[in-house]
Amino acid sequence: MTKQLPLIQFDQVGVSIHGKAILAGISFDMNAGDKAVFRGKSGAGKSTVLKTLLGLYPLARGTVHFQGKPLDKSVIAEIRRCAAYIGQEPVLGAETVRDALLLPFQFKAHSGNKPSETTMIKALRTLHLPETILSQDCSRVSGGEKQRIALARGLLLGKSLYLLDEVTSALDVESKQAVFDVFADPKLTVLSVAHDSDWVALCGRVFDLEGGNITEEKRNGDA
Amino acid sequence: MGTLDIGMTQMATLFGVVLLPWLLISLLGLKLNQVIAVSLLRMTVQLGLVGIYLKTLFTLNDPWLNGLWIVVMLVVADLTILRRAGLKRRYFFLATFMAVAASVVFSTAYLLLLVIQPPLLYDARYLVPLTGMILGNCLQGNVIALERFYTGLRKNENEYLTYLLLGATRWEAVRPYFREAVKAAVNPGLAYMATMGLVTLPGMMTGQILGGGEPWTAVKYQIAIMLCIFTSTTLACILNLKLSLNLAFNEFDILMEEVVEKR
Repeated sequence: MTKQLPLIQFDQVGVSIHGKAILAGISFDMNAGDKAVFRGKSGAGKSTVLKTLLGLYPLARGTVHFQGKPLDKSVIAEIRRCAAYIGQEPVLGAETVRDALLLPFQFKAHSGNKPSETTMIKALRTLHLPETILSQDCSRVSGGEKQRIALARGLLLGKSLYLLDEVTSALDVESKQAVFDVFADPKLTVLSVAHDSDWVALCGRVFDLEGGNITEEKRNGDA
Repeated sequence: MGTLDIGMTQMATLFGVVLLPWLLISLLGLKLNQVIAVSLLRMTVQLGLVGIYLKTLFTLNDPWLNGLWIVVMLVVADLTILRRAGLKRRYFFLATFMAVAASVVFSTAYLLLLVIQPPLLYDARYLVPLTGMILGNCLQGNVIALERFYTGLRKNENEYLTYLLLGATRWEAVRPYFREAVKAAVNPGLAYMATMGLVTLPGMMTGQILGGGEPWTAVKYQIAIMLCIFTSTTLACILNLKLSLNLAFNEFDILMEEVVEKR
């Protein structure tokens, strides 16, 4: 039986931003369905890991493979096609929440899959958001709501890989649980950055990052 | 009826008109004395040299010399656009040159071939001032377009990246900033056109009237030049921005910091 290739593979990856080394040569891999979290102090390079996978920063050294292929133009396009990145302050990019949810469907890549009103409401409810939020102005929604709207947009796009940067930081207990429930789905792969102990406990794999290096890797359930 | 010439004594008298504002600026302690002196001197020397050159150009009226003069104007315009827009020459020189040259040549050729139809198409008396006016306005538009586009993109980096990560192509993701940049570049020209004759008496028309031309002919020339300026500015801005999209981004559609001048 052939061994399944990891979905994501970082091998001695170094990244420098404005001449400063942010990642010093990290290595890890993840399979489809894994839930992983990076922890560490501010400036340790956690967000850089997520952004490097999306092709936002060039590699100073090392290699990144996705589905066994090294990063190039077509692989980056494939990652962006199947991944959703949700940051601490997600940009909704539209005036109303409805327009924000429909924004990606204006692009050629998703133009044929515009969701119905019912589908949008269902996605919002999954994340404990009321349907009335659809007509609300994006500038009037809270940080936590913005994060969940961005997540709902990912769900509507049928994304299978979620790159989450402190997504539960602005959530109350109930909303946090709703987000946990969504990512309990074994089909979804999660690579995240978090300090929240509840979120860390949910993730099967925990990486501690310090000064651009992985100092410890734990698998939840390990003694 | 020709224009009344200004003699050398009157020219010297002319500089007296700036003494009062110069004095007021000095009294206000603005420390602009040196700047004013340099600006006046530069303008006088530069225009003097242009006068000598244009006189030679008009006398010889050689198609190659006229063409060479236009190429020089295009190169200077290109360098000025990039310097003022804060973009590096080694990345954008050729693209800006091509965009501006194509648009200016198109508009000027349209004006000369189809509208004015001078006996000699390369006649310096028509070719040089018309190209100069069209190019000058095109320059301003391109500075605004490039500067607005790249500043907008850098200021709204997170928004641009969000579009990319939501599946937008590079073109789809830059489109909002592209539209804003083109709008900002053509808006001043449109506002100028809309108020022309009411608030401002345009330079070309005034020049023709002072030169002894019929007011009605001057009006027609002014309309012709304004339409060509609008066309060339719009075309050059769109073309320039479009060409720059292939030069300013890496293979993953991320704007390369090194294309922008550090300020």
